[in-house]
Amino acid sequence: MPLEPFKASRSLTMGVELELQLVNLTDFDLTALAPDLLHLLSLRNFPGDVKPEMTESMIEVSTGVHARHDELLAQLSDIRDVMVVAGDRLNIALCGGGTHPFQHWVEQHIFAKPRFEQLSLLYGYLAKQFTVFGQHVHIGCASADEALYLLHALNRYVPHFIALSASSPFLQGVDTLFDSSRLNSVYAFPLSGRAPFLLDWSEFEHGYFAKMENTGVVKSMKDFYWDIRPKPEFGTIELRVCDTPLTIERAAALAAYLQALCRMLLERRAPPPVEDDYLVYNYNRFQACRFGFDGLIVHPRTNESIGLRDDILATLRELEPHAAALNSVPALSELHRAVAYEGNHAGLLRRLFAREGGVEGMVDAAVRLFRGDRPS
Amino acid sequence: MSESLSTIAAPLAWPLAIAVAWLAGELGHRWLSLPRVSSYGIAGFFMAESQGGFLMVPSGSTIPLLADFAFSLMLFELGFRINLRWLRADPWLGVTSVVEAAATFSAVFLLAQFFAVPMMSALLLAALSMSTSPAAVVRVVNELKSSGQVTERLLHLTAFNCVLAVVVFKMVLGYWILASAGSLFHAAWNSLMVVAVSAGIGVLFGVAVPVLLRSIGAVGRNATVAFAIAALLLTALTLVLNFSPLLAALVFGLVARHRRVIFSQAQNNFGALGDLLSVLLFVFVAASVEWKQVVDGAELALAVLGVRLVVKTLSTTLFARLSGITWRKGALTGLAMTPMSVFVILLLEHSRHLDLGSFEQVAGIAAIVIILEVAGPILTRRALVWAGEARR
Repeated sequence: MPLEPFKASRSLTMGVELELQLVNLTDFDLTALAPDLLHLLSLRNFPGDVKPEMTESMIEVSTGVHARHDELLAQLSDIRDVMVVAGDRLNIALCGGGTHPFQHWVEQHIFAKPRFEQLSLLYGYLAKQFTVFGQHVHIGCASADEALYLLHALNRYVPHFIALSASSPFLQGVDTLFDSSRLNSVYAFPLSGRAPFLLDWSEFEHGYFAKMENTGVVKSMKDFYWDIRPKPEFGTIELRVCDTPLTIERAAALAAYLQALCRMLLERRAPPPVEDDYLVYNYNRFQACRFGFDGLIVHPRTNESIGLRDDILATLRELEPHAAALNSVPALSELHRAVAYEGNHAGLLRRLFAREGGVEGMVDAAVRLFRGDRPS
Repeated sequence: MSESLSTIAAPLAWPLAIAVAWLAGELGHRWLSLPRVSSYGIAGFFMAESQGGFLMVPSGSTIPLLADFAFSLMLFELGFRINLRWLRADPWLGVTSVVEAAATFSAVFLLAQFFAVPMMSALLLAALSMSTSPAAVVRVVNELKSSGQVTERLLHLTAFNCVLAVVVFKMVLGYWILASAGSLFHAAWNSLMVVAVSAGIGVLFGVAVPVLLRSIGAVGRNATVAFAIAALLLTALTLVLNFSPLLAALVFGLVARHRRVIFSQAQNNFGALGDLLSVLLFVFVAASVEWKQVVDGAELALAVLGVRLVVKTLSTTLFARLSGITWRKGALTGLAMTPMSVFVILLLEHSRHLDLGSFEQVAGIAAIVIILEVAGPILTRRALVWAGEARR
């Protein structure tokens, strides 16, 4: 199947997808209740979209298209409320976080749907290990070339999103010392990583995608697990490096940050992206995953070593006029608080772990955060 | 010579029976995909003395205590999985529970009348039929590692109908004592007080054990052994005082859960201890039944089982959509609720001191127990597999 034509959409609109954990309320382990939850949700009007994921203890919700942060947040809040009520009816809880801290991947049930069953056959245990939870942010692009430009111009900011969203420090019951251990699971897939450096859509379509399709390795864009990928049928680029945060407020703020960044990049004041920007890409990505805001990244142009915290703070200052123009100042203030004072959700999880004395108590506390209760 | 042989053989009987039953469980599971507990029951029944086997059911020895202890562990685990807040979020769950239990009682009582069973016996049979046995349910759920709405609702409805069955059973006993002995005090003591004090002991343990664990800083890994020891103590205590260890253990689990002590997943089934004791429990229950009693009550038993299955399944199906699940999952919940053997046997055992003559008084119960000891877990297993909730 050849690549679909890129369907132009309104520039700088945004949409969010969140993969959420389904947790049982007895021992706070993952529970395979997605089919029951989907059935219950199908009986009522859902303020967005809801879909199954690879394993039955995951569920994906998505918003519509929004130009404003407050409207996006309002929809996420409605979705959250409906999900929480539905969860209560079925005696399960929903929870954010990039990984479930102590689930055993062996125990997960693959969702009964042909695509997931095929992927499970192809990838074997990787499919079950892919029980990790990400936030995807879509940004609307006026043209296909604009999409490829933004996709590559964003390369230097990818570590920001990793550190800001990181919420997966625990895996298989232990602290991995990574702020985002989830991305290590994504990295195991052969078609993960960065997109090839092509800025022209017809070249991307004929010179890359068509050739890849001929090899038989891929059938559609869905087969690429890139950090940022174009989504022609929506007319968007999709940022996929974020862990699902513990709160919907953080999820909306991350989308607003990406929106403001794209607005700044589209002014095209910075030098255009080049292939060599990617020389430091994987190293910077690792630093963000491992150390969060304390990571030390290398600037792709100056080769200077900079603290990720300082780089994000400087970027937030640069984005102030754009946030003002987009009405997303509260979102950027929330991120500023996190970077400057409070730390990311990986740090919060570690504090909850220490306070509750175990991983189960930590999940219990994370469940309450997702419901919108403030941390005590 | 033969005397010295039996002196040597007697202490060997139970360990040998457990070994044989365990082996039967493993082979039945491998060759026929039978739930292990079904095979334990079959093996136990055929090894029993009354069927010409070598296994005596000793009264007054430690074997009945161990069986009760095994069951207390399962009831504790069941209680621990019960979330009372769910009743508020889904009131139809509570309605389902009351309706299925009440409808089962009424239907079985009418049926027993039709079979001309004496009044007292009919009432006791109806009360016992309300219950679903937690032993089979908990073992099968853990064996399949199932999760989903059928599993969740099965566990909750089982816990609720056990409580209702104990309460109604004790009420019937109270009525019987009043009618036969005319002593109001004696009647009230053996019904209301037994229920209240047993539950009270459960609450006491549920509050005290978590406090103790926290104060010695042993919430994590040690909790399994601590809870097992507490369950042992609770079982012995309630048995000595002639209260109900069933109710006490269930309430203990329930209260401990709501005291927010988290029992981690690795400790499901109480590990190897729970596995071992469950072999003993299912052998003990099946070995308590005599072939003759089974044959005598077979006709009534089959009728009761049919009616009970239909009533339970109809009740859970009726409220399925209102509870937000499919008709199909509603019906499968009812089917999964078929087991009742272990619960019934132990409840009757605990009433022996009242000279009720237990089995003989409750028509058809021996046949019900032995049929369901085998068929109950199989039906629960099928229901969970058909619901797509077993691990794939």
